[in-house]
Amino acid sequence: VSRRFQMEDNSPAALQNSFNVEEVSQIIKEGIESSIGTSQYQQNKVNQWTSAIIEHCLNHLTRLEKPFKYVVNCVIMQKNGAGLHTASSCFWDSQTDGSCTIKWESKTMHAIVNVFALAI
Amino acid sequence: MQDEPVATEQPQQQQQQQKEGEEVANTYVIRPNFESKFRPLLAKPVIHEVLVERLTDKAYDKEATSGLCKELTDEIKARLRANGFERYKFVVQVAIGEQRGQGVKMACRCLWDSDSDNYVQDIFMNDSLFCVAVAFGVFHY
Repeated sequence: VSRRFQMEDNSPAALQNSFNVEEVSQIIKEGIESSIGTSQYQQNKVNQWTSAIIEHCLNHLTRLEKPFKYVVNCVIMQKNGAGLHTASSCFWDSQTDGSCTIKWESKTMHAIVNVFALAI
Repeated sequence: MQDEPVATEQPQQQQQQQKEGEEVANTYVIRPNFESKFRPLLAKPVIHEVLVERLTDKAYDKEATSGLCKELTDEIKARLRANGFERYKFVVQVAIGEQRGQGVKMACRCLWDSDSDNYVQDIFMNDSLFCVAVAFGVFHY
C-alpha cells in the first residue's frame, strides 16, 4: 500500500481559509475612501487618518474569521514632488501566507497601505 | 529467528514504563522560551548596521533608489535569518523618500500573539533622503 502526501491542499475548506487578495484589497480601498476620501492633507490630522484606516482594515480582517495573524502598515505622504520608494521582503510559507498593497492618491496626498497575512 | 529476542524485549520495557506510571513528555515547542524570542534589543543593531553601511553619503536618485530599496530589504532579511530566531517568519519593509520638506506619516498595527511576536524599526536620515526600516517577527506554531 503506498500513500502520496500532498503538501498543497485544494479542498474547499482549505481554500476558504487561504488568503484572498481581492477580498482584502476591497477592504483596504473602503478603509481609505471612508477616512481620507475627500480630505486635503493636514499635518494635525494625519495621525487620526492613519489610525482610522488601519483600525478599519484590522476590524474587517478580523471579521473574516480566518486563521491568520495580520500586520497592517499605512504611509501617508503630502504631495510635494518628492519621490518615495517602498519595498518589502518576506520569509514565510508562500502557499499559505500572502500580502496585499494598495496605492491611492488624491490631489494633495499619497497613501500606501500594506496588509501582510501569516498563517497560524 | 534472531529478531525474536528483540521483539520480546520491547513489550517488556513498555510494560515496565506503564507500571511505573511514566508518561512520554511533549517535546513540540508551542511558544518560544525567553532566549529564542524575537527581541527588539537583539534585532535593532542588525537593521541599524545595514542602514548606516549602505546609506551614509548616498543621495536620493530616482532610478537607483528603487533597486537600493529592494537590496536593503533582502539584506536585512538575510541577516535576521542568520542571527538565529528559529521558527520565526519575517516581514521586512523599507521605505526611502526624498527630503523636500513634505510631511510623511507611517503607522502600523498588528493582530498577533504579543507574547511571541514583535517588531523592530529604525530610521536613517541625511540631507537628501530619509529611510524607515521595519522588521516584523511572527512565531510559527
